[in-house]
Amino acid sequence: MAIISFNNITKNYKTGFRKKKTALRDFSLDIHEGEVFGFLGPNGAGKSTAIKLLLNLIFPTTGKAEILGRRVADREIKKLIGYLPENPYFYDYLNPIELLSFAGKTSGMDSLKIRKKTESLLNTVGLWSERKRAIRSYSKGMVQRVGLALALIHDPKVVILDEPMTGLDPIGRKQVIDLILKLKSEGKTVFFSSHILEDIERVCDRIGILVNGRLVRIMDIKSESLTRPLEEIFIEEVEKAGGARE
Amino acid sequence: MTAVWSVALITFKEGIKNRIIFGIFIIALLLFAATTILTTLFMRDIVKVAVDLSLSTVSFAGLLTLLFIGVNLFGKDLDKRTIYMVISRPVSRSQYLIGKFLGIVLLSFVVVAFLGILSAIPVILSKRFYYYPEARFDWWIYFIAVIYIFIKLAIVSAIITLFASFTSNSFIALVLSLVAYIIGQSTESVRGLLASQVEKIDVSPILSYMVEIAYYVFPNISAFDLKTQAAHGLSINPSYIIWTALYAIFYMTIAVVIGTLAFKRREFP
Repeated sequence: MAIISFNNITKNYKTGFRKKKTALRDFSLDIHEGEVFGFLGPNGAGKSTAIKLLLNLIFPTTGKAEILGRRVADREIKKLIGYLPENPYFYDYLNPIELLSFAGKTSGMDSLKIRKKTESLLNTVGLWSERKRAIRSYSKGMVQRVGLALALIHDPKVVILDEPMTGLDPIGRKQVIDLILKLKSEGKTVFFSSHILEDIERVCDRIGILVNGRLVRIMDIKSESLTRPLEEIFIEEVEKAGGARE
Repeated sequence: MTAVWSVALITFKEGIKNRIIFGIFIIALLLFAATTILTTLFMRDIVKVAVDLSLSTVSFAGLLTLLFIGVNLFGKDLDKRTIYMVISRPVSRSQYLIGKFLGIVLLSFVVVAFLGILSAIPVILSKRFYYYPEARFDWWIYFIAVIYIFIKLAIVSAIITLFASFTSNSFIALVLSLVAYIIGQSTESVRGLLASQVEKIDVSPILSYMVEIAYYVFPNISAFDLKTQAAHGLSINPSYIIWTALYAIFYMTIAVVIGTLAFKRREFP
């Protein structure tokens, strides 16, 4: 059974009176259990749109998205999903402990479990010593790491990360890669988008290339060893599909 | 219920830790001090002046809290997409909106409770130093007036929630909430003026009709202003208390339910 499933999804946005922009066209994709799937595409290709559809932040114009065989509108399914948005922004005056406590409680965890998990996660992302500082005093990279901790506090089965490496220094990037590999070793399904091809190549089992709202190629990079650099393949696919919209 | 309460709590914490609230408290304290000094300039009715100014300060500070912090507690979530953090969890859009509303109501409760207690100081001072036996004053009525300031702010919170549910940015929500407040504050007087026809001025039926519509659509904020009763020590009819409280609950429920229905269909691209 596919853990994440997009079925013939088209998503249109209204951009003005009688004007619309198609962000995703007839998009179908299945992601399997324990898989690390990388989502590649130029800016404006529709990667974030696909991710937001999974979280029910936006609704498909046609088609349906499912996680673990259940419609994404099902609120209970979100207990099993961890999500890191692109350029996350959190409450300015709260500290990570308060944020993680909120995230744990809304995911149905008890206080003791939240406390234990908070300590271990903040240590993992290197923020335990900064735990009492308000988020507003954090750097962009630190905010990104709080976002990662928030995505993982409830030990989700499915982890969805939108550009998780954005704003991170090389050490931060390595931490994220190690974290994704750790999640994979624990049997979690990871679906993430990134522009950093090198990172995608290092951690993914499969990758999908999205151009102008269409999924133009899926590659199993663990089984079919790449004869050419991923960058070359990516540029070729983008050009074949008519280039990036932006 | 856990989801609603968690959203309410995080909203309240974010609001109470906001630096603007310290500014509002400082303004309120300065106004209380000014009240104490100003009352010395009056020859008569000093307690009445102290009560009127103290209650006005609590109401003004509460309104500033809602307009500068309350609106932003929604606005930032929507403008900067902090809402992703909440909606991506097992929290429905309705639970989010109700939680936000309750968080803002809790914030106004704490502000009114704190300033309501402090507001008693200028009144106590005026009573002690400028006592005159014929003055009618009742602490019970004074604190009912403070509670009614809170109820008024809870209604304004519901209006903010309603406008935030469908507007695209916080500035529009702020302007609409402010306009609704001003209209709600004055409709009863305007309606009364039109009905009395003291000056025998001809008013077009369309205008009268519009005033009538505004009277029923916008909340009657002036009904919650008990400053005159508190200042003059006039007793308040228990049926007035019950009916206005029921009206407030009814209005808030309607506003939040409409907001919830609008918010259910909203996308966050």
